Amino acid sequence: MRIERQTLLELLQTILRELGEDLGKETLLQTDERTPLFGSRSDLDSMNLVNIITEIEERLSDDYDINITLASSSAMSRTRSPFLRVGSCVDYILELIEKQNNE
Amino acid sequence: MSDLAFITGTRKGIGRAIAEHLLSQGWIVAGCSRRESDLQHENYHHFNFDVSDETAVIDTLKKVKKTIQPIKVLINNAGVASMNHLLLTPLKSYEDIFKTNVQGTFLMLRETAKQMSRSGGGRIINFTSIANPLNLEGEAIYAASKAAVESLTKTAAKELAGMDITVNAIGPTPIETDLIKLVPKEKIEALVKQQSIQRLGTYEDILNTVDFLIKPQSDFITGQILYLGGVN
Repeated sequence: MRIERQTLLELLQTILRELGEDLGKETLLQTDERTPLFGSRSDLDSMNLVNIITEIEERLSDDYDINITLASSSAMSRTRSPFLRVGSCVDYILELIEKQNNE
Repeated sequence: MSDLAFITGTRKGIGRAIAEHLLSQGWIVAGCSRRESDLQHENYHHFNFDVSDETAVIDTLKKVKKTIQPIKVLINNAGVASMNHLLLTPLKSYEDIFKTNVQGTFLMLRETAKQMSRSGGGRIINFTSIANPLNLEGEAIYAASKAAVESLTKTAAKELAGMDITVNAIGPTPIETDLIKLVPKEKIEALVKQQSIQRLGTYEDILNTVDFLIKPQSDFITGQILYLGGVN
Protein backbone atom coordinates (compact mmCIF):
# COMPACT_ATOMS: atom_id res chain seq x y z
CA MET A 1 0.00 0.00 0.00
CA ARG A 2 1.67 3.20 -1.18
CA ILE A 3 0.41 6.69 -1.79
CA GLU A 4 2.39 9.86 -2.45
CA ARG A 5 2.05 12.72 0.01
CA GLN A 6 0.98 15.08 -2.77
CA THR A 7 -1.74 12.63 -3.88
CA LEU A 8 -3.02 12.42 -0.33
CA LEU A 9 -2.99 16.19 0.05
CA GLU A 10 -4.97 16.58 -3.18
CA LEU A 11 -7.44 13.92 -2.03
CA LEU A 12 -8.10 15.81 1.19
CA GLN A 13 -8.39 19.12 -0.68
CA THR A 14 -10.89 17.54 -3.08
CA ILE A 15 -13.01 16.30 -0.17
CA LEU A 16 -12.91 19.76 1.42
CA ARG A 17 -13.78 21.44 -1.87
CA GLU A 18 -16.78 19.14 -2.37
CA LEU A 19 -17.92 19.80 1.17
CA GLY A 20 -17.44 23.54 0.64
CA GLU A 21 -19.62 23.41 -2.46
CA ASP A 22 -22.31 21.49 -0.56
CA LEU A 23 -22.26 23.86 2.39
CA GLY A 24 -21.67 27.05 0.41
CA LYS A 25 -18.44 27.80 2.30
CA GLU A 26 -15.93 29.54 0.05
CA THR A 27 -13.02 29.04 2.47
CA LEU A 28 -13.13 25.32 1.74
CA LEU A 29 -12.84 25.76 -2.01
CA GLN A 30 -9.18 26.82 -1.87
CA THR A 31 -7.30 25.11 0.94
CA ASP A 32 -3.64 24.52 1.73
CA GLU A 33 -1.53 22.73 4.30
CA ARG A 34 -2.28 25.36 6.94
CA THR A 35 -6.05 25.33 6.58
CA PRO A 36 -7.51 24.52 10.03
CA LEU A 37 -9.84 21.53 10.22
CA PHE A 38 -11.16 22.26 13.67
CA GLY A 39 -10.96 24.81 16.43
CA SER A 40 -12.10 28.41 16.55
CA ARG A 41 -10.32 29.28 13.29
CA SER A 42 -11.98 26.49 11.35
CA ASP A 43 -15.07 26.85 9.21
CA LEU A 44 -16.00 23.26 9.98
CA ASP A 45 -18.21 22.02 12.78
CA SER A 46 -17.73 18.68 14.51
CA MET A 47 -20.13 16.85 12.17
CA ASN A 48 -18.30 18.22 9.14
CA LEU A 49 -15.06 16.79 10.55
CA VAL A 50 -16.75 13.42 11.16
CA ASN A 51 -17.89 13.39 7.54
CA ILE A 52 -14.42 14.32 6.30
CA ILE A 53 -12.72 11.57 8.31
CA THR A 54 -15.26 9.01 7.10
CA GLU A 55 -14.88 10.20 3.54
CA ILE A 56 -11.07 9.91 3.66
CA GLU A 57 -11.28 6.35 5.03
CA GLU A 58 -13.78 5.28 2.39
CA ARG A 59 -11.95 6.87 -0.56
CA LEU A 60 -8.60 5.44 0.52
CA SER A 61 -10.26 2.03 0.66
CA ASP A 62 -12.25 2.34 -2.57
CA ASP A 63 -9.69 4.09 -4.77
CA TYR A 64 -6.31 3.02 -3.35
CA ASP A 65 -7.11 -0.22 -1.51
CA ILE A 66 -5.71 1.33 1.64
CA ASN A 67 -7.70 0.24 4.67
CA ILE A 68 -6.99 2.28 7.77
CA THR A 69 -9.05 3.64 10.64
CA LEU A 70 -8.28 7.29 11.29
CA ALA A 71 -10.19 7.73 14.52
CA SER A 72 -7.98 5.62 16.75
CA SER A 73 -7.69 6.08 20.49
CA SER A 74 -4.02 7.02 20.06
CA ALA A 75 -4.98 9.84 17.70
CA MET A 76 -7.63 11.13 20.07
CA SER A 77 -5.28 11.12 23.05
CA ARG A 78 -2.44 13.04 21.43
CA THR A 79 -1.65 16.39 22.99
CA ARG A 80 -1.69 17.94 19.56
CA SER A 81 -4.53 16.58 17.45
CA PRO A 82 -3.47 15.27 14.04
CA PHE A 83 -6.70 16.71 12.65
CA LEU A 84 -5.79 20.29 13.57
CA ARG A 85 -4.73 21.31 10.06
CA VAL A 86 -4.78 19.86 6.57
CA GLY A 87 -1.00 19.30 6.62
CA SER A 88 -0.95 17.55 10.00
CA CYS A 89 -3.87 15.36 8.92
CA VAL A 90 -1.99 14.30 5.77
CA ASP A 91 1.13 13.50 7.82
CA TYR A 92 -0.93 11.48 10.28
CA ILE A 93 -2.53 9.42 7.50
CA LEU A 94 0.90 8.71 5.99
CA GLU A 95 2.09 7.67 9.45
CA LEU A 96 -0.80 5.21 9.78
CA ILE A 97 -0.18 3.76 6.33
CA GLU A 98 3.53 3.37 7.08
CA LYS A 99 2.74 1.70 10.38
CA GLN A 100 0.39 -0.73 8.69
CA ASN A 101 2.96 -1.51 6.00
CA ASN A 102 5.49 -2.38 8.69
CA GLU A 103 3.16 -4.75 10.58
CA MET B 1 -30.87 -3.70 -9.06
CA SER B 2 -31.88 -5.18 -5.71
CA ASP B 3 -30.67 -3.63 -2.46
CA LEU B 4 -28.42 -5.45 -0.06
CA ALA B 5 -29.27 -6.27 3.55
CA PHE B 6 -26.62 -7.45 5.97
CA ILE B 7 -27.94 -9.57 8.82
CA THR B 8 -25.80 -10.79 11.70
CA GLY B 9 -26.42 -14.19 13.22
CA THR B 10 -28.04 -15.84 10.21
CA ARG B 11 -27.07 -19.44 10.94
CA LYS B 12 -30.31 -20.13 12.82
CA GLY B 13 -33.28 -18.62 14.65
CA ILE B 14 -34.49 -15.10 14.06
CA GLY B 15 -31.54 -14.11 11.85
CA ARG B 16 -32.09 -17.08 9.59
CA ALA B 17 -35.82 -16.36 9.36
CA ILE B 18 -35.17 -12.71 8.41
CA ALA B 19 -32.58 -13.74 5.81
CA GLU B 20 -34.94 -16.23 4.17
CA HIS B 21 -37.77 -13.68 4.29
CA LEU B 22 -35.79 -10.91 2.61
CA LEU B 23 -34.38 -13.32 0.02
CA SER B 24 -37.94 -14.33 -0.85
CA GLN B 25 -38.71 -10.64 -1.41
CA GLY B 26 -35.84 -10.27 -3.89
CA TRP B 27 -33.23 -8.72 -1.62
CA ILE B 28 -29.56 -9.56 -1.85
CA VAL B 29 -28.61 -10.77 1.62
CA ALA B 30 -25.23 -11.01 3.27
CA GLY B 31 -25.10 -12.76 6.58
CA CYS B 32 -22.63 -13.87 9.17
CA SER B 33 -22.12 -16.22 12.04
CA ARG B 34 -19.18 -17.66 13.88
CA ARG B 35 -19.81 -21.05 12.28
CA GLU B 36 -20.70 -22.20 8.78
CA SER B 37 -24.25 -21.74 7.51
CA ASP B 38 -26.19 -24.22 5.38
CA LEU B 39 -28.40 -21.48 3.93
CA GLN B 40 -28.18 -21.85 0.17
CA HIS B 41 -29.56 -19.20 -2.19
CA GLU B 42 -28.18 -17.53 -5.30
CA ASN B 43 -28.52 -14.11 -3.64
CA TYR B 44 -27.14 -15.13 -0.25
CA HIS B 45 -23.52 -14.51 0.77
CA HIS B 46 -22.25 -15.92 4.03
CA PHE B 47 -19.25 -14.75 6.04
CA ASN B 48 -17.76 -16.47 9.06
CA PHE B 49 -16.62 -14.04 11.72
CA ASP B 50 -17.25 -12.83 15.23
CA VAL B 51 -19.10 -9.49 15.29
CA SER B 52 -17.04 -8.39 18.32
CA ASP B 53 -13.79 -8.69 16.32
CA GLU B 54 -13.06 -5.17 15.04
CA THR B 55 -10.61 -6.19 12.32
CA ALA B 56 -12.93 -8.91 11.03
CA VAL B 57 -15.89 -6.53 10.96
CA ILE B 58 -13.96 -3.84 9.06
CA ASP B 59 -12.45 -6.28 6.57
CA THR B 60 -15.70 -8.11 5.91
CA LEU B 61 -17.81 -5.01 5.42
CA LYS B 62 -15.27 -3.52 3.03
CA LYS B 63 -15.28 -6.82 1.13
CA VAL B 64 -19.08 -6.80 0.94
CA LYS B 65 -19.04 -3.26 -0.43
CA LYS B 66 -16.36 -3.99 -3.02
CA THR B 67 -17.41 -7.43 -4.20
CA ILE B 68 -21.19 -7.15 -3.90
CA GLN B 69 -22.49 -3.62 -3.25
CA PRO B 70 -22.91 -1.11 -0.41
CA ILE B 71 -25.20 -2.13 2.43
CA LYS B 72 -28.67 -0.55 2.47
CA VAL B 73 -30.07 -2.30 5.53
CA LEU B 74 -28.20 -3.60 8.56
CA ILE B 75 -29.96 -5.93 10.97
CA ASN B 76 -27.92 -6.41 14.13
CA ASN B 77 -29.51 -9.64 15.25
CA ALA B 78 -26.55 -11.60 16.62
CA GLY B 79 -26.79 -11.99 20.34
CA VAL B 80 -26.07 -14.28 23.23
CA ALA B 81 -28.03 -14.83 26.43
CA SER B 82 -27.29 -16.51 29.70
CA MET B 83 -29.74 -17.08 32.50
CA ASN B 84 -28.29 -17.10 35.96
CA HIS B 85 -28.84 -15.55 39.35
CA LEU B 86 -26.79 -12.38 39.63
CA LEU B 87 -24.79 -13.81 42.54
CA LEU B 88 -23.85 -16.84 40.47
CA THR B 89 -22.93 -15.03 37.27
CA PRO B 90 -19.26 -15.44 36.31
CA LEU B 91 -17.37 -12.44 34.98
CA LYS B 92 -16.74 -14.45 31.81
CA SER B 93 -20.50 -14.54 31.13
CA TYR B 94 -20.69 -10.78 31.55
CA GLU B 95 -17.76 -10.29 29.17
CA ASP B 96 -19.13 -12.67 26.54
CA ILE B 97 -22.61 -11.15 26.62
CA PHE B 98 -21.41 -7.56 26.41
CA LYS B 99 -18.86 -8.39 23.72
CA THR B 100 -21.40 -9.87 21.35
CA ASN B 101 -24.50 -7.87 22.22
CA VAL B 102 -23.01 -4.40 22.72
CA GLN B 103 -19.54 -4.35 21.17
CA GLY B 104 -20.74 -6.36 18.17
CA THR B 105 -23.73 -4.11 17.60
CA PHE B 106 -21.56 -1.00 17.94
CA LEU B 107 -18.86 -2.19 15.53
CA MET B 108 -21.32 -3.33 12.87
CA LEU B 109 -23.29 -0.11 13.21
CA ARG B 110 -20.20 2.12 13.03
CA GLU B 111 -18.68 0.49 9.97
CA THR B 112 -21.96 0.09 8.09
CA ALA B 113 -22.96 3.68 8.76
CA LYS B 114 -19.70 4.82 7.14
CA GLN B 115 -20.75 3.01 3.95
CA MET B 116 -24.31 4.25 4.16
CA SER B 117 -23.21 7.86 4.59
CA ARG B 118 -21.58 7.66 1.15
CA SER B 119 -24.32 5.73 -0.59
CA GLY B 120 -27.41 7.78 0.16
CA GLY B 121 -28.34 6.51 3.61
CA GLY B 122 -29.90 3.35 4.91
CA ARG B 123 -31.73 1.57 7.70
CA ILE B 124 -30.23 0.02 10.80
CA ILE B 125 -32.25 -2.29 13.03
CA ASN B 126 -30.80 -3.41 16.34
CA PHE B 127 -32.20 -6.13 18.54
CA THR B 128 -33.12 -5.55 22.14
CA SER B 129 -35.37 -7.66 24.36
CA ILE B 130 -38.33 -7.30 26.68
CA ALA B 131 -35.92 -8.57 29.35
CA ASN B 132 -34.87 -4.95 29.81
CA PRO B 133 -38.22 -3.19 30.41
CA LEU B 134 -39.56 -6.14 32.41
CA ASN B 135 -36.39 -6.31 34.54
CA LEU B 136 -36.44 -10.10 34.25
CA GLU B 137 -34.92 -11.95 37.16
CA GLY B 138 -32.10 -14.22 36.14
CA GLU B 139 -31.25 -12.06 33.16
CA ALA B 140 -29.53 -9.13 34.83
CA ILE B 141 -26.50 -9.05 32.56
CA TYR B 142 -28.41 -9.89 29.40
CA ALA B 143 -30.97 -7.17 30.18
CA ALA B 144 -28.18 -4.71 30.99
CA SER B 145 -26.56 -5.42 27.63
CA LYS B 146 -29.87 -4.79 25.87
CA ALA B 147 -30.33 -1.55 27.82
CA ALA B 148 -26.98 -0.51 26.38
CA VAL B 149 -28.16 -1.45 22.88
CA GLU B 150 -31.28 0.67 23.37
CA SER B 151 -29.26 3.66 24.48
CA LEU B 152 -26.89 3.19 21.54
CA THR B 153 -29.88 3.01 19.21
CA LYS B 154 -31.36 6.29 20.42
CA THR B 155 -28.10 8.24 20.31
CA ALA B 156 -27.03 6.76 16.98
CA ALA B 157 -30.41 7.76 15.56
CA LYS B 158 -29.64 11.40 16.41
CA GLU B 159 -26.04 11.34 15.19
CA LEU B 160 -26.84 9.58 11.92
CA ALA B 161 -30.11 11.31 11.02
CA GLY B 162 -28.25 13.91 8.99
CA MET B 163 -26.84 11.11 6.84
CA ASP B 164 -30.34 9.78 6.04
CA ILE B 165 -29.74 6.73 8.21
CA THR B 166 -32.50 5.59 10.54
CA VAL B 167 -31.69 3.49 13.61
CA ASN B 168 -34.39 1.59 15.46
CA ALA B 169 -34.56 -1.46 17.69
CA ILE B 170 -36.98 -4.36 17.92
CA GLY B 171 -37.64 -5.97 21.28
CA PRO B 172 -39.23 -9.36 20.70
CA THR B 173 -41.06 -11.40 23.30
CA PRO B 174 -39.85 -14.96 23.82
CA ILE B 175 -40.29 -17.08 20.73
CA GLU B 176 -39.33 -20.68 20.15
CA THR B 177 -35.63 -20.25 19.48
CA ASP B 178 -32.52 -21.90 20.83
CA LEU B 179 -32.06 -18.94 23.17
CA ILE B 180 -35.05 -19.96 25.31
CA LYS B 181 -35.09 -23.72 24.91
CA LEU B 182 -33.21 -24.18 28.17
CA VAL B 183 -35.49 -21.84 30.13
CA PRO B 184 -37.98 -23.72 32.37
CA LYS B 185 -41.53 -23.76 30.99
CA GLU B 186 -43.02 -22.13 34.09
CA LYS B 187 -40.54 -19.24 33.77
CA ILE B 188 -41.65 -18.62 30.20
CA GLU B 189 -45.33 -18.78 31.21
CA ALA B 190 -44.76 -16.27 34.00
CA LEU B 191 -42.97 -14.00 31.58
CA VAL B 192 -45.71 -14.19 28.95
CA LYS B 193 -48.27 -13.23 31.64
CA GLN B 194 -46.51 -9.86 31.96
CA GLN B 195 -47.23 -9.06 28.31
CA SER B 196 -50.42 -7.26 27.25
CA ILE B 197 -50.93 -9.93 24.62
CA GLN B 198 -50.19 -13.16 26.42
CA ARG B 199 -48.70 -15.55 23.94
CA LEU B 200 -45.27 -16.51 22.68
CA GLY B 201 -44.09 -14.49 19.74
CA THR B 202 -43.61 -15.89 16.26
CA TYR B 203 -41.09 -15.28 13.53
CA GLU B 204 -43.91 -13.61 11.56
CA ASP B 205 -44.33 -11.01 14.31
CA ILE B 206 -40.69 -10.04 13.91
CA LEU B 207 -40.67 -10.20 10.11
CA ASN B 208 -43.64 -7.85 10.02
CA THR B 209 -41.78 -5.34 12.20
CA VAL B 210 -38.67 -5.59 10.04
CA ASP B 211 -40.78 -5.02 6.90
CA PHE B 212 -42.30 -1.94 8.52
CA LEU B 213 -38.97 -0.41 9.52
CA ILE B 214 -37.26 -0.94 6.16
CA LYS B 215 -40.11 0.16 3.89
CA PRO B 216 -39.42 3.47 2.09
CA GLN B 217 -42.33 5.21 3.85
CA SER B 218 -40.71 4.61 7.26
CA ASP B 219 -37.97 7.18 6.66
CA PHE B 220 -39.42 9.44 9.39
CA ILE B 221 -39.15 6.75 12.06
CA THR B 222 -35.89 6.64 13.97
CA GLY B 223 -34.62 6.20 17.50
CA GLN B 224 -37.58 4.01 18.38
CA ILE B 225 -37.65 0.87 20.50
CA LEU B 226 -40.48 -1.36 19.32
CA TYR B 227 -41.36 -3.98 21.93
CA LEU B 228 -43.71 -6.69 20.79
CA GLY B 229 -46.59 -8.17 22.76
CA GLY B 230 -47.63 -4.89 24.34
CA VAL B 231 -44.62 -4.57 26.63
CA ASN B 232 -43.48 -1.08 27.46
